[in-house]
Formats: sequence, C-alpha cells, structure tokens
Amino acid sequence: MMLKYVVKRLLGLVPTLLIVAVLVFLFVHLLPGDPARLAAGPDADAQTVELVRQDLGLDRPMTEQFVSYFSRALHGDFGRSIRTKRPVMDEIAERFMPTLLLTVWSMAWSVVFGLAIGILSAVFRNRWPDRVGMALAVSGISLPSFALGMFLIEVFSVELGWLPTVGAGSWKHYVLPSFTLGAGVAAVLARFARASFADILHEDYIRTARAKGLGEVAVVLKHGLRNALVPVITMMGLQFGFLLGGSIVVEKVFNWPGMGRLLVDAMDMHDYPVIQAEVLLFSLEFILINLAVDVLYGAINPVIRYE
Amino acid sequence: MKFAPRLRPAMLALVLASSGLPAPGWAAGKEVVMAVASTFTTMDPYDANDTLSLSVHKAFYEGLYGFDKDMKVVPVLAESHVVSPDGLTYTFKLRKGVKFHDGTDFGADAVKANLDRVTNPDNRLKRFNLFSNVARTESVDAHTVRITLKKPFSAFLNVLAHPSAVFISPAALKQYGNTESAFHPVGTGPFTFVEWKQTDHVKVARNERYWRPGLPHVDTIVFRPVVDNNTRSAVLKTGEAHFAFPVPYEQAAVLQATPGLDVLSGPSIIARYMTMNVLKKPFDDVRVRHAVNYAINKEALAKVAFAGFAVPSEGVVPPGVEYAVKLGPWPYDPKKARELLKEAGYEKGFESELWSAYTHTTAQKVIQFLQQQLAQVGIKVRVQALEAGQRVERVESVQRPQEAGVQLYYVGWSSSTGEADWALRPLLASESWPPRLFNTAYYKKEQVDAAIRRALATTDRSEKAAAYRDAQEQIWKDAPWAFLVTEKILYARSKRLSGVDVLPDGAFDFVEAELK
Repeated sequence: MMLKYVVKRLLGLVPTLLIVAVLVFLFVHLLPGDPARLAAGPDADAQTVELVRQDLGLDRPMTEQFVSYFSRALHGDFGRSIRTKRPVMDEIAERFMPTLLLTVWSMAWSVVFGLAIGILSAVFRNRWPDRVGMALAVSGISLPSFALGMFLIEVFSVELGWLPTVGAGSWKHYVLPSFTLGAGVAAVLARFARASFADILHEDYIRTARAKGLGEVAVVLKHGLRNALVPVITMMGLQFGFLLGGSIVVEKVFNWPGMGRLLVDAMDMHDYPVIQAEVLLFSLEFILINLAVDVLYGAINPVIRYE
Repeated sequence: MKFAPRLRPAMLALVLASSGLPAPGWAAGKEVVMAVASTFTTMDPYDANDTLSLSVHKAFYEGLYGFDKDMKVVPVLAESHVVSPDGLTYTFKLRKGVKFHDGTDFGADAVKANLDRVTNPDNRLKRFNLFSNVARTESVDAHTVRITLKKPFSAFLNVLAHPSAVFISPAALKQYGNTESAFHPVGTGPFTFVEWKQTDHVKVARNERYWRPGLPHVDTIVFRPVVDNNTRSAVLKTGEAHFAFPVPYEQAAVLQATPGLDVLSGPSIIARYMTMNVLKKPFDDVRVRHAVNYAINKEALAKVAFAGFAVPSEGVVPPGVEYAVKLGPWPYDPKKARELLKEAGYEKGFESELWSAYTHTTAQKVIQFLQQQLAQVGIKVRVQALEAGQRVERVESVQRPQEAGVQLYYVGWSSSTGEADWALRPLLASESWPPRLFNTAYYKKEQVDAAIRRALATTDRSEKAAAYRDAQEQIWKDAPWAFLVTEKILYARSKRLSGVDVLPDGAFDFVEAELK
C-alpha cells in the first residue's frame, strides 16, 4: 500500500518539475537587464557585448534557446555558468554538500532544543520554565541571524579564539553557523511544540493514561509526544526545505561555501543557467521532503492511511 | 534536563567574552592570507572584467608594462620600445632569459600568440575592445616584436600596462585551449598557480625561477574572498588573514585600535559624479547645470557619505590619472545656484529624478545627501537606487537617445589604463552614448570630440597634454556632470606583513610581500 503510494507520488513529481522548469525559464528571461551587458563588464563597448552575447548563445531566438535548454536538461546537462564558464553541475555539486551538512546539523540541534523547550513549556504552562522557554523562543525568532552571527564571531572567534570564523573544513567550522542558522528554527519548533502539546495534554486519552497510573514522564513522552508530533513534523519538513536552499544571510556572514551564496552571485549577474538549475533543485528537494513528511506521519501515527 | 550540560559552555563563554583572551593566528610558515571582497570570476586575464580577479592574476602573469604605485607606466617584460612617426607601429625589445612556469622561454612568439588570441573575435573574449585597435603582431626575432595598429592610439603603452595585457604560455594555450586555459594559468610571474577552489580560495606558491633575483620573499599566498564587510574585519582580528581590502569606512577606527593591525588609506583614481541628461529639459540649460554644481557641498558629502575617505573632485579626471588637469573643486554657493536657476526661468525650482547606479549603503547615503542639497535650492528629486539589472535596462542598454529616461544619475568610474583617454572617451565623447559606452549625460561637443581624437593621433607628449587640457576645460565649463568626489582607498593589514599595498586603481600589489 505504502510502496504504491510512494511510487505514485514520485511519478506525480515529473509533471510538477516540468512546469517549474518552464516557469523558471520564462521568469529568468523576463528579468530586467541584458545579461550580455552585465557579463561583459564595465569596460566593454557595444561590439564586445555582442561577442559575449554570441558566446553565451543569447543571440539566438528565445524558442530555440528554450528547446535547446530542455533537450540538454533532459540529458542532465544544465549548461555552463555565465559568470565563471564552468559547468553548472560542477558549480552546484561542490556547494551542495556544505549546505546539506550545515542544514542537517542545524536541524538536528534545533529539533532537540526546540522540542525540549516546547514540551517543558507546555508541561509547566504559565510557570517559570514556560516563561523562560518562550522568552528564548521569541528572541530566537526576532533576532536577525546576521546580528546573532556577528555576535557569535565577535565572542568565540575574535575574543576567545576558540572557533574559526570562515571556511568549512572541520567540525569546528560548523559550530557557529549551525547554531546561528538553527536558532530561528529551534524557536519556531518550540512555539509549535508547545501549542500542539498544550492542546493534547487536555485530551481524554492523556487523562486515561494518567488514570492508569503511568508516571508523568511516560504520559508526556509516550502518549503526548506521538500525537503532538504530527504538526511539528510538518513544520520541520518546511523548515528543512528552506534551510536546504542555503540561507543567504548566514552563508554570507560565515563565508559558507554553499548554495545560498551561489544563488546571490548568480542573481547579480543574471546567470540564467545557474538560477534555473538551482530553482529546479530546490523544487525537487521540497517535493521529496513533503513526501518524506507524509510517510513519516504514518510511521508515527498508524491511524493515518495512505490512498 | 538531559541537555543542560551542553548549554553550559555557551553560557560560560558569554561570561568570559569580556575578559578578552588573546586570539590565535593559525597561518603556518610564510603563508600570506589576503581577504578580499568578492568571488573571483575567472583566471583568464583576457576574459576578466573585474579588478579583483585581475589583481590575483598578477601573481602568475606579467605583461610588457605595468603600473607603479603612482600609476606610472613602467617596463616589466619589455626592455625598450620605438614608435614609428605616424604612431602606427610599435617595436618592442623584450627581456631575455625569462621563462614561463612550464619551462618554455618567453619571447616574441608568446606576445604574438596572446595578442592574436584576443584580437580574434571568434574567441569571444571580454577584453576584445581593449585590443581591437591592433591590426597585427609580428615577431621580428626571438626577442623583438612589432605591433601595428589600425589607427594611431597614443595611449597604447597604457593598454599594454593594463592588467589584462599579460602573457600566457603559448604551450599552455595550445594544450588547454581557449576556454580551459582559464583553469590552468601558466605565466612568467613571481608565483606559480597551485589551486583555485571556487568556493573558497586561490592559492599560489613561490616561483623558484623568477627572473627578478631575490623575489618573492614568501612561500605561498592565499587569496580568500570574504564577502561580508564585518566578517572580513573579523578574520583580520583573529589572525586568519593578514590583509583585508576593502575595509568598510565605519570599521576603520575599530581596526586601527586593534593591536597588531594597521589601517592604511591612499589616493584612488575612482571618480564619483552625477551625470545630467543634457538632451532633456531643464538640464539642456548650462545655467541649470552650473546651479546643480553650486548647490552641492562636496566637503560635507565626503564627510557624511564617505566618512571622510574622499576628497572633493578637483577636475573632470581625478589626479593620478595621466594628463588630469586641476580645475576645481567647484565652489559651494547655494545663493549663486538660486540666482542661476532664476535666470534660467526656474525661480520656483523644478522636479526631477535621481538614479543611483549602485544599491550599497554608501551610494544610498550619497543620493539622500544630494536630494537634501538640491532641495535647498528648490530642486525636488525623487531618488532611486537601481539594482544591476535595472541599471542595464534603464540606462546602459537604451537603444535610442530620445527614449532615455535617465535624468540625474549618480555613478563612478576608474580609468583602468590609468590614462586620460579611458577617463574621458567612454564617458564624454559623443561616440559613447549608450548603448555603445557610458556617456549617460548624452553630452556632445565637437571641440571635446576633436581634442580627444587629436590626443590619440599624436605621438608628441606636450601636444597630447594640450589637447587633454583643452577637452577637460571645455567639459568643466559645460558641466554635463555634477563633479562630486574622488574616493580614497582604505585597507588594513597585519603589522607582521609588509610590501603589500593597494594601488590607486584598486588593484593590489604583493610581489614584494614579506611576513615577519
């Protein structure tokens, strides 16, 4: 049943991606500004701009560009970057892992902290753990990540000298960026978990569990958590998708060699091939995460059925 | 409660933050780390249009000529040159005994191979227009090369001193081809190329067989783009980098106060100005254009927007560019501005639009300041900072002059050849109206066009200087621009590092880098 469901969903992915590809192709070609002029640079005269235009294949009619883009994309060739003239796949491949790892680490700790704070706040509702937890969560949501990032660099790199500022070579490099990136997510998850838990703790089955004589910890973690997790997992999936896109701000502050910075560089130069490939990749990631989230629902709560 | 111990070190750290423990430096041996502002685009100097990439190319590439610290042209791989009386043929004697990193000899063939490559439109290189005036290159003998131009072009030595005009080993060009040679640089420079990790850095190592004896002093240099301004300052403070350029104005004082760091500022050839579209009312009236110039307090602009790291423009072309003439600064006199406006029939002022070619904070401050100054004399302007794509669409690619929407336009320019031709012709000659080049004032004056042509055609220096003086005086009088400021260059380096400086064109010089 489940396998059939997954296969069906994966098949449904194909038309979605095609539509996204068409839309993004049209979108980038509608951006104001001539990419050949941008690529040719500030010293170039009109003749040089024309040479650059030919070099980039932008002198051909739009329909022809469209057809050639699609036929090549179907074979896994996304062309070469306008900015660097390297294959787009190489540009993306070497940035994918740093962003993925950073996302996984940020997600991991923010789930742990977010859920812990959320559960504690719900259990001790309107008492001091709740107040402290929610104060932290509100700060986490409202503190801009560039400010948090700069503060952490100032403290741990400049003053204490414990951790490096830029680069992605060792585990030490991951500490500050993943904390900065995860802070907002942890805060969102904490708020979500608290709200979801607060509702569930009033449910009849919780009262039943308590009446059976179960300890409070077992009640909360076994009976409460399972049911409270459904909306939290939806949220996690969404946040994961956003983080995978590479946080532009955090990647800039920590000079992270990831997808976010690549996208900014690409937008500045109207680097069509890179923008198209990145947006397609983000769409694919989102679809897959959504699928994973749907499958997880069933694993957590067997009442949910797939059709 | 399980997670509490993990929180504790973080808390502790916050408490310790104020105690100020010493920061470590982890660059080992004689490795210099230079933090720069943006990612490199290419390692092919003929296909690069950003000063930053070209600066890095100077590690492994050299040309016939180069610029010294004052932007004067000095010979590098050339020993001497002779120009024919008609200004069309240049014959160069080349330095002997210079070897490329791949062991092949540098000679006339290398000059020919490189110039033939860039002048061939089929190779579609971005520096095509710098060399499009070259008719042919011939090797006379192994160490003599003759270059013939299509038209006399007296700034040609400056073109050869441009950081793009450098020599790639012909063997490497042949091996890797037109596009791939960008990833395998082989030149004659003081350092050999080690690696270009696109996401992180470019690394170069000492060239043991460098032709200048005793150089370089350091083993390796790492050029690392650190895009965020604050982070770039932070890596200097932690010792992760020895040099940072540019330094944001607001960080100058903080860095200066940091032990072990020097903040240095020097002159630049970056001119900042506001063009006025002379095809449009009311800027077709020279009195209005003078009024705009009188209305702006350039001293205050330099203080407010540039934190003092700029000086009021002293002419059309910044001092430091060859053949620049000092004509100003234009005095600040709002009373005079109002009188001129009244004379021109704009007693009640008028409305206009001011666009900025950039969106960064300094530019935002500049246009707001200009808006406020112009309001003082009754000119109400709406300001808008254009993102790069908008700038290209609305200003640079406009096909017909009468369709140009540009009125007031804040922008800047640095003459990459260090010479008056490239400071005047692309911006003020009538042949340079968009979309061809960047004469966004749509200025056209036969006298100026003629002077620019005359200066290019002559081989006589004093005649050339006279022609450029003529052009600049006329432009100053016609005032198609509001002449604003000349920027200063601001950079910082570790006290352990010497021999690394930023030149007035924003390129850095590191051949004599030394690390204590």
